Amino acid sequence: MAIEKTDVVIVGMGAVGGVMAAELGKAGLKVIGLERGPRLKTADFTLDELRYFQRKDLRPSPKTQPVTWRPNANTPSFRLPQMDYGNQAGGGTVHYGAVSWRLHEDDFRARSHTIERYGISAIPEDSSVADWPLSYAELEPFYDRIEYDIGVSGKAGNLQGRKIDGGNVFEAPRQREYPLPALTKDQPSVLFEGAAQKLGYHPFSTPHAILSQAYKGRPACTYCTYCQAFGCYIGAKSSILVSKLPEADATGNLTLKTGAMCYRINTKGKRATGVSYYGPDGSDNTIEADIVIVGTFIYDNTRLLLLSKTDEFPSGLANSSGQVGKHIMAHMMPNVFVGFDDRHVNTYMGPSAQKYTIDDFNADNFDHGGMGFMRGAQISVGTPNLEGGPISFSTIAPPPGTPRWGTAYHEFLGKYFTRHAAMVGQTENLAYPDQTIDLDPNTRDAWGLPAPRLTYDWRRPNETARVEFMMQKMEGIGRAMGGNVVWRGPLSPGMPGAHHEGGTRMGNDPNTSVVNKYGQTWDIHNLFVVGSSTFPSMSGFNPTLTIEALAMFSADAIASKYKKSPGPLL
Amino acid sequence: MSKHDEGRRAFLVGAVGAGAVASTNLVQTAYAKTPVRAPVHQPPPKTAEAPDTSVIDNGDAHGAFFNDDNAATVAALAERLMPSAPGKPGAHDAGVLNYIDLALAGAYADQQDFYRRGLAQLDAYCRKAHNQPFVKLGPAQQDEVIGAMEQGKASEFTYPTAPAFFNTLRTHTMEGMFADPVYGGNKDFAGWRLVGFPGTQLYYTSADMASKQAFTRAPIIGLQSQAKAPTRKV
Repeated sequence: MAIEKTDVVIVGMGAVGGVMAAELGKAGLKVIGLERGPRLKTADFTLDELRYFQRKDLRPSPKTQPVTWRPNANTPSFRLPQMDYGNQAGGGTVHYGAVSWRLHEDDFRARSHTIERYGISAIPEDSSVADWPLSYAELEPFYDRIEYDIGVSGKAGNLQGRKIDGGNVFEAPRQREYPLPALTKDQPSVLFEGAAQKLGYHPFSTPHAILSQAYKGRPACTYCTYCQAFGCYIGAKSSILVSKLPEADATGNLTLKTGAMCYRINTKGKRATGVSYYGPDGSDNTIEADIVIVGTFIYDNTRLLLLSKTDEFPSGLANSSGQVGKHIMAHMMPNVFVGFDDRHVNTYMGPSAQKYTIDDFNADNFDHGGMGFMRGAQISVGTPNLEGGPISFSTIAPPPGTPRWGTAYHEFLGKYFTRHAAMVGQTENLAYPDQTIDLDPNTRDAWGLPAPRLTYDWRRPNETARVEFMMQKMEGIGRAMGGNVVWRGPLSPGMPGAHHEGGTRMGNDPNTSVVNKYGQTWDIHNLFVVGSSTFPSMSGFNPTLTIEALAMFSADAIASKYKKSPGPLL
Repeated sequence: MSKHDEGRRAFLVGAVGAGAVASTNLVQTAYAKTPVRAPVHQPPPKTAEAPDTSVIDNGDAHGAFFNDDNAATVAALAERLMPSAPGKPGAHDAGVLNYIDLALAGAYADQQDFYRRGLAQLDAYCRKAHNQPFVKLGPAQQDEVIGAMEQGKASEFTYPTAPAFFNTLRTHTMEGMFADPVYGGNKDFAGWRLVGFPGTQLYYTSADMASKQAFTRAPIIGLQSQAKAPTRKV
């Protein structure tokens, strides 16, 4: 049993860990980062749809790292067949689609904004949607820094309050342009843009953390097919693996341990003393640290707190509020597909996730009066499953009347692979207290630890009404694109979709939240939990850039305040 | 990662990083290794100038996992799921059986029993409903059997259930059609030719992105091989 000492230990070396290791290392703190997966290189990544899309290389294995799900507390749980988060240094940013948003100003105050505009009755009675304890203005400098640190391509739609056509005119004001121009449009984007304009919407190129031009020694995107689900074979995707981790290395203050499975946060009274982890050889090791930062995916942020319970914290560490594991959220991704008889659109070319977008029906950018739901969705055009290869295409439901196999299906594949586009409505689902993560009493992982268990069913009145509304909008766009066949994809039977949030929500009140806006737990001032697990609401936008900005925000507070006088930051 | 691979990656990074996307097929050529087309069960070519590059038809090849009967059944099932048509390759053309056979001996070894049981149940159902094993049935009857499996109406199935067995067969057939040929299916890019996918192209140009036509600028590329793209019917 090895014991090491350090200033800071970070559990999970993905979007949170990579950013915080770089920033804290620059501040002169010695950091040990624990990563349960490997640290891969750009040279490791190949152009192989079977390996990365279909067989989910780069994701946790459901066999060794199971996660279970049940729709409600009265039904048995079963193992989710596949995982969509990361399992290596760089975390999910290695394989992600790199869609990079700043949240809207009203995303930070979804509850009070809704009450102000529509009254309290517009919020479902059983929802626990809450305001964030920080504003867009507070986070804006950190959004700016992360965009320029890693390299994001896009076009501003709101520069210091000035609206700019061609960018997202609904975005919150930014101080300066994106560091890189927008990526090149593909044909589905051209058609989507024309259709959306015809319908009076405001289409624009989705901002991506993918280099449209060479940047900081990394080459520009080559528009190959192999994007979301893959590691970028030339490092043009601005993953944490190729951006912030090299920065952290350069500080000389990071020790990154791979194959390290953290199983407990150690505490003495109301102070964290470090963590314990299993090494790749099965060894049992301990790190003693002045500051413990938990920055894993939301499953393990909650699980680690629950596994680390003590006499002082019998229901889980930092859980005096009883809120750990509650209010989880996930985007639903309803699809509408479009097929063209008169042209090829070759949607397999270029970055594959959410290529072109309208923000007209997201957040509170439209009048929800009489709609039967609050909040909205980002509507984008791209590829089925956010991946454009033929295996991906073979997984989607064909149009009504076309079978899933046989002669007619064979013809469908042959005709429409190069003649289809996929739209997705990425819906902002609300938080509900009975959407939870806890420890599954019946399923254990390869280390013998109880698996995280999700209790979640998105099919609530507010959420189903929103999905139906977005489906109709997407069908309208599909027809305006000139599609000869426009059809809906099936909806999931309740289980969470993409981009999970919640479980260790942040707030201003220690009685109703787990952490403050810095990710510092209310109960243990040298224990920080950072990531989308702290989101009180989720927005219809992809979360990663906000996760990275929050990690910057937390690191800044630790370096500038906590390091000098350890104690509660608020 | 071989020196060769590192070399071509460095070349590409350099070319693209300098903002000069290579206008020739040099990059693509550098990426693909020499096509692997060693003749099987034939003596090596006697003369250097005339190597024998003939390809043995392995559309129904197996040997890593399935016995002959099960191989014939899986090949017939796959062909009904993705039947070939004139000019449009199907499961046999793509070597789907070979893909599934190799996968069950390797990455999907934990599904061997699933297949054995599924095939035994299918055989029992076919003999009960049609007095014949699956491979002896005509195409229309075979489709009837597959439809009954898909809809859970085929008797004799317990584990796996008929829909579960159908869904797995369908998924693996699609993988055998469309995965890179390095995995033993998609033979001579049959699946990619069917749908018009040019494979592991390292880049597309602005002109490619702006085109309303099928892509034919470069050969079809795989991880270990490449082939001239046929003129595609629009």
